[in-house]
Amino acid sequence: MFENILTNPIIVVILTILVCFIISTLLPGIERKYIHARIQQRIGPILIAPGIMAPLKFMFKENVKVSSPVSGLYKALPVICFIVVLCILIALTPQAYQIPALASLVAIVGFLKVEEICYVLMGALSKSVMSVRMPFPDKIKGAAHNNSNLSFIEDISARRSLRMITYGSFPLYLALFAPITAAGSIFLQDIVAYQQANGPFLFTISGGIAAIVFFIGYMIILNEYPFSIIKAKSDVIEGPYMEYAAKYRAVVYLTRGFFMLVLGCVFSVLFIGIPPTIMSLGFLVNILVALIFVFMMGIFSAFAPVFTNRQLLPTILCTSLLGILAIGLGLL
Amino acid sequence: MGIKSFSRVRAIHVMLVYTGGCNGCDIEIVNSILSPRFDAEQYNVFLTWNPREADVLVVTGPVTHLNRKPLEAIYEAIPNPKLVVAAGSCALMGGVYKNCYGDIPSEEIEGPVENIIPVNAKVPGCAVRPQDVLAGVVSLLPTLLDAD
Amino acid sequence: MDKKVPRSNIIETEIPMGTVHPAALEPYRVRFFVEDEIVQEAEITIGVNHRGIERIMEGLPVEKANALTEKICGICSNSHIWNSCRTAEMGLGIEIPERALYIRVIMGELERLHSHFLYLAHGCEVLSHETFSMRVFYLREIVMELLAMIGGNRVQYGCSVLGGVRPRCDLDEAKLLRLKNDMDALEEGLTGFVERFLADSIVQSRITGIGVLPQKQAIELAVTGPTLRATGVARDLRTTMFEYDEFDFNVITQPDGDVKSNLVMRALESFESIKIIRQAIANIPEGKVVNRDWEMFDIDITESYIEVPRGTLYHSYALESGRVRHCIIRTPSMANIGAMQYACIGDQLTDAQLCIVQCDPCFTCTDRAIEIIRR
Repeated sequence: MFENILTNPIIVVILTILVCFIISTLLPGIERKYIHARIQQRIGPILIAPGIMAPLKFMFKENVKVSSPVSGLYKALPVICFIVVLCILIALTPQAYQIPALASLVAIVGFLKVEEICYVLMGALSKSVMSVRMPFPDKIKGAAHNNSNLSFIEDISARRSLRMITYGSFPLYLALFAPITAAGSIFLQDIVAYQQANGPFLFTISGGIAAIVFFIGYMIILNEYPFSIIKAKSDVIEGPYMEYAAKYRAVVYLTRGFFMLVLGCVFSVLFIGIPPTIMSLGFLVNILVALIFVFMMGIFSAFAPVFTNRQLLPTILCTSLLGILAIGLGLL
Repeated sequence: MGIKSFSRVRAIHVMLVYTGGCNGCDIEIVNSILSPRFDAEQYNVFLTWNPREADVLVVTGPVTHLNRKPLEAIYEAIPNPKLVVAAGSCALMGGVYKNCYGDIPSEEIEGPVENIIPVNAKVPGCAVRPQDVLAGVVSLLPTLLDAD
Repeated sequence: MDKKVPRSNIIETEIPMGTVHPAALEPYRVRFFVEDEIVQEAEITIGVNHRGIERIMEGLPVEKANALTEKICGICSNSHIWNSCRTAEMGLGIEIPERALYIRVIMGELERLHSHFLYLAHGCEVLSHETFSMRVFYLREIVMELLAMIGGNRVQYGCSVLGGVRPRCDLDEAKLLRLKNDMDALEEGLTGFVERFLADSIVQSRITGIGVLPQKQAIELAVTGPTLRATGVARDLRTTMFEYDEFDFNVITQPDGDVKSNLVMRALESFESIKIIRQAIANIPEGKVVNRDWEMFDIDITESYIEVPRGTLYHSYALESGRVRHCIIRTPSMANIGAMQYACIGDQLTDAQLCIVQCDPCFTCTDRAIEIIRR
């Protein structure tokens, strides 16, 4: 009876997701307490505060009327983001390899694109109180341009997200496609099988370079300092997330931690060849990879200021060139 | 202690609004949150600049005329349950600026903060000490925990 | 350095920020006129902080009015009370004991340290570099505790009174020793920070060439204080003040007028302040700290200029039967607003708040003399 349950693929996938989700809620706390606070020589919050307690607290807050032209869509977006991240995790589990359309790199790239487009929509639909809607008598004489059209700070953020879609996420996608050169297939099943036969892709020259590119792409897609231009505190405050309150903000918080873990799993599938499933000990490697990524990201972000467009373009260009180099080396 | 109170006591988001004081309180409060010496985060108090995220609104200053409406708008934007801490003698009673014209009411000073939004805790001092600000925010916890 | 773009009449969009914004330590409104994320024009609206201090001072006894000037600003409160006392002392011809002058200089320099440290910390925070910001705040705490030790309060210490300093602020041996030891600790910490800061290539690439204020423009806009010195003009009122006659210090200048120059300027000036405090500790004369032996009489409008952490501070008033008349106070930020608006032009929107912060704004100081016309 018990063995039957554990061999049922759907139950295994659900259990994997649950365990991943629980671990992922700890990641923001680890980043905040054990990396940022330690580097800044202070005690910092308790481990569970940013990842678990903050979303729980927001769950119990009263819902407010969101200031947005299409509030229904705006409220749905964080949920869509969460579902997208969930789909990526499902696609990574070995049970999903039965469905070739899902368990391929093209599907993962597609899901990541949806995530990025969500940021654009969030930014465009949010109309926060902090800029134009602030009741302040602005129309004074002597203004430089009296009839210019007003923009919310989130509009700037939406424009930046659009720019990030066009060139910002290049490094991540290049790094995702690098393992194909070795395995010769876009299906995860083949990539995993190739690496289990020939050793991890990470330990080849091409794989090593691609791993660096993947890490930078990981920071860019998570909007962590220094690549947090779409939510830079010095001008757009929180960017796309400005208007989320109560339950929706809780989802935003949870998605962030979950996304960190899932991207770690993507790395361990594509570069080490260990798919996430609680049925094998390899699952520990997945968690370890996710933790290492969080640690590295925390160290980088504690020592970097936010990049403006001036620094972003060269950084991303160099990283993309590295990514092309990795693919080129893999093809040779 | 239910799960509601349990989570609330472990994540408190504080937003600051300056309403035209002399900067002394403002910097002491920023100091209490940003400086590793006081480090409000060890009590799970996080600084935020987004009213949608905040639980506790810390107001300093005597609320000048042009600051009245922004303060109201920000207070409206915070989802319930929300609490207000008035910090510094200006926020409590208008400081040296209130009633400066004797019997003629001042047009500039709309404060104290109580006249505009309901205040839950008052932190006295000119300027407030960082320790007092932390104590004020922490003293609100029972009210916050019992709220619906 | 021709980075300034010509002004066009049609602008893509306008982004207002404020009055509450994470990059601003005080309420002000700024409107950026932006084209493709490049700021074409910036407009700072002040008057948000207007409380009418000068009007309150009018008709108050001069001792009370002096105490009130402290409430103009919580950052340079000591400078205001110092200059206000100085105005009356110059008018009434009060002789100030030598020891009191030394203590005033020590307080003034400690305040310069805390203001410059706040500037560095705030600058790093607007850069979104939390770690550096926290390190500076940690160093600043040493200065704050010294100020609390001498004056009894962390922010408004009320050190100067007419004829000297408050007896509470007298420095005994133990206090001088602590001051001396803390200066050593501070210098060590600041040296470490500056070395780290200058060696961090990411931060350097972020702040070099941003918010450039050319020297010609700075002189045209009558910019004062460190913001002027960061453009290469060696002008410091401390060289002309009789309080500083016996002290040996350098006027620091930096060549470029960008954010980097400004930040490095403040850090280097902090070392000079530490130097001045050390000299004061070594040479502080014995004697009383306050001279109560003076007569009150009516005086005409008297003016006094001193160098405060942010530039030139001007106080002037007349005395009529011991009460203040025709009070005018002009703070350095008033002169620097033009520079703030100019420095933003041609930079990325993400840098725009940094360009305002680099001129060390203090709008609570500034918002007094403005008449708000209400319809």
